[in-house]
Amino acid sequence: MSTTPDIAQQLRVLRENYARQLPDKLALIEQTFRNGDVDGELQNLRFLAHGLAGSGATFGYPGLSAAARQLETLVDGALCAGRVLNTEENHTAAKLVEALGHETRTPVEWIPTPALPARVTPDAARKLIYLVEDDTELALDVALQLGHFGYTVRTFETPEKLLEAPADDSLAVVLMDIVFPQGELAGPEAIVKMSAAKRLQAPVIFLSVRNDLAARLATTRAGAAAYLMKPIDIGALVGELDELVRDHPPEPYRVLIVDDNGPLAEHHAFTLQSAGISTEVATDPMAILAHLDDFKPDLVLMDMYMPGCTGAELAAVVRQLKNYVLVPIVFLSTESNTSRQLTAMRLGGDDFLTKPIAPEHLISAVSIRLRRYRVLRAHVERDSLTGLLNHAATKDRLATEIARSTRQGSFCCFAELDLDLFKQVNDTYGHLIGDRVLKSLAELLKRRLRRGDIVGRIGGEEFGIILPNTKAAGAAALLDELRDAFSQVRQYASIEREFTATFSCGIAEYRGGSSSNDIYVLADKALYRAKQAGRNRVMLAEQ
Amino acid sequence: MADKSLQRILYVEDEPDIQAVARIALEAVGGFELHVCNSGQEALDAAPSFDPDLILLDVMMPGMDGPSTLSALRELPALSKTPVVFMTAKVQNAEVAHYRQLGAVDVIAKPFDPMTLSTTLHGIWKTYLDEARP
Repeated sequence: MSTTPDIAQQLRVLRENYARQLPDKLALIEQTFRNGDVDGELQNLRFLAHGLAGSGATFGYPGLSAAARQLETLVDGALCAGRVLNTEENHTAAKLVEALGHETRTPVEWIPTPALPARVTPDAARKLIYLVEDDTELALDVALQLGHFGYTVRTFETPEKLLEAPADDSLAVVLMDIVFPQGELAGPEAIVKMSAAKRLQAPVIFLSVRNDLAARLATTRAGAAAYLMKPIDIGALVGELDELVRDHPPEPYRVLIVDDNGPLAEHHAFTLQSAGISTEVATDPMAILAHLDDFKPDLVLMDMYMPGCTGAELAAVVRQLKNYVLVPIVFLSTESNTSRQLTAMRLGGDDFLTKPIAPEHLISAVSIRLRRYRVLRAHVERDSLTGLLNHAATKDRLATEIARSTRQGSFCCFAELDLDLFKQVNDTYGHLIGDRVLKSLAELLKRRLRRGDIVGRIGGEEFGIILPNTKAAGAAALLDELRDAFSQVRQYASIEREFTATFSCGIAEYRGGSSSNDIYVLADKALYRAKQAGRNRVMLAEQ
Repeated sequence: MADKSLQRILYVEDEPDIQAVARIALEAVGGFELHVCNSGQEALDAAPSFDPDLILLDVMMPGMDGPSTLSALRELPALSKTPVVFMTAKVQNAEVAHYRQLGAVDVIAKPFDPMTLSTTLHGIWKTYLDEARP
């Protein structure tokens, strides 16, 4: 939505007024908190915190909203239990009041179109997280940081307190420490107890300093969804949480079935579909290459003996294609001769299932491989810092998209981004801050690009974006909007020191006949011109 | 029901800052005709003569809170059917269900974005009309 200068001006005035009143509001909260539990002051504290939680982000203080909400949740918990704050809670509340003070000093710049929608997640979409951790300082820090990513955290100091807590439907994930004063494995033991009593539906992520097998085994037995080592990498934790509580269901697994016997192939397809797996059938083995490119299967289920070629030969061909070196190939055949089975495996197959096969066996054999393939592929294809595709994977996707555009006669664009004067950022603020800038750009790209767009980190401070079905003008408009948004994101070097970063961008459009390499070179040249022209701008390739 | 467009909004909120920003969001950005009340009691006094298309009600207010204002409004014949939308900073799914049970057509989360609030309300209004249609 566009903003007329008048409205922008009015909103700015309101923000300034709000900022002016904040010290008084904060002083009132501090006073109320200091008064302790006399004369309903706790109710007042809850009310004041509620007010800040509901207003802060509107006026440019998302961090204030997040911290105030934690405080409100904390006080609310005590009030609902009909008691005053205990010593631990009192300590946490004091820290939160302190955090409020800090947050009032750090507004984010008001930007007409929200720059990082993640920071002001509508509260209906907030997810409730339980954190069970005896280190209250750490718990508070995690709670505050997760607040920035749209999670509401309720903390418990001991597993017992979690056991006593009434069930809450909106609980999305439990974060559980392992070692407590109550025992070296008190965390996992409590989870086992809760699961046995059917009192826990939410997935559990364990956080611990322990890295020994006994601890890991205990968490596995407790059904851990993930295990993160302390000190906690908030980025990694948010990644796990996003994965566990995402609103849209994960992309279904894709299985390509290659079998010249149509009805049998359909039967297997139907079986797999019943388990939520998406399938495609190729009855002509010679057409497998087109199926691979269009369908991008996570697994190929293949008959051994087909007209034209054998399954083993086909597997050998698939393995020659760089993009499909990892894709599991499972043979499904009546072949029961072990040495022939082994030959097929040597040529590139991963597993051998003997026909006829019970539907549940087929589903389970295929599902196990699918899960492991996705994890493996993520490790191979992703850049560990930003979670984006790495250089090789981005180039592969570009080639695939161009091949698809050629076939379908559609458009696509490739944009190459490079952070401006990034060396200076690293030299001035250090590499940790530099990494944070990279992550903030990756986060912005992930959240603001469309679902079909493909983003990769293709160099130290270089990013590549593939925009399918997009013409140059549309791509330029989109990238310029992102450029503008990113240039307004405040980067923090420390509490007092902040700065902004920018990027330059070159865009090339795919036109019939050009190769992925041509596009790459064109985008790179356009990027160079953008740098020459003074940086912080988007340039189209001269095509 | 005829498809009438959303024009007149009665807004009940005790916090002056939020009032001010909502005024811009609804009047300047949204182009609505707005009447702002500081409390539930004020709303009860003003509502019959203002005759709003929709009432926007803060949940947590000192004195008469959102839900009690809603039930008091329902006692007034002219307002027994006017759609009410709650605004609250504490939106858990269970609470949304609870507010709907009380008769709210929807719940808007605070803090809100002043640039999109009116769009949100138009969406709620459209859904309300669609559901009211036989």
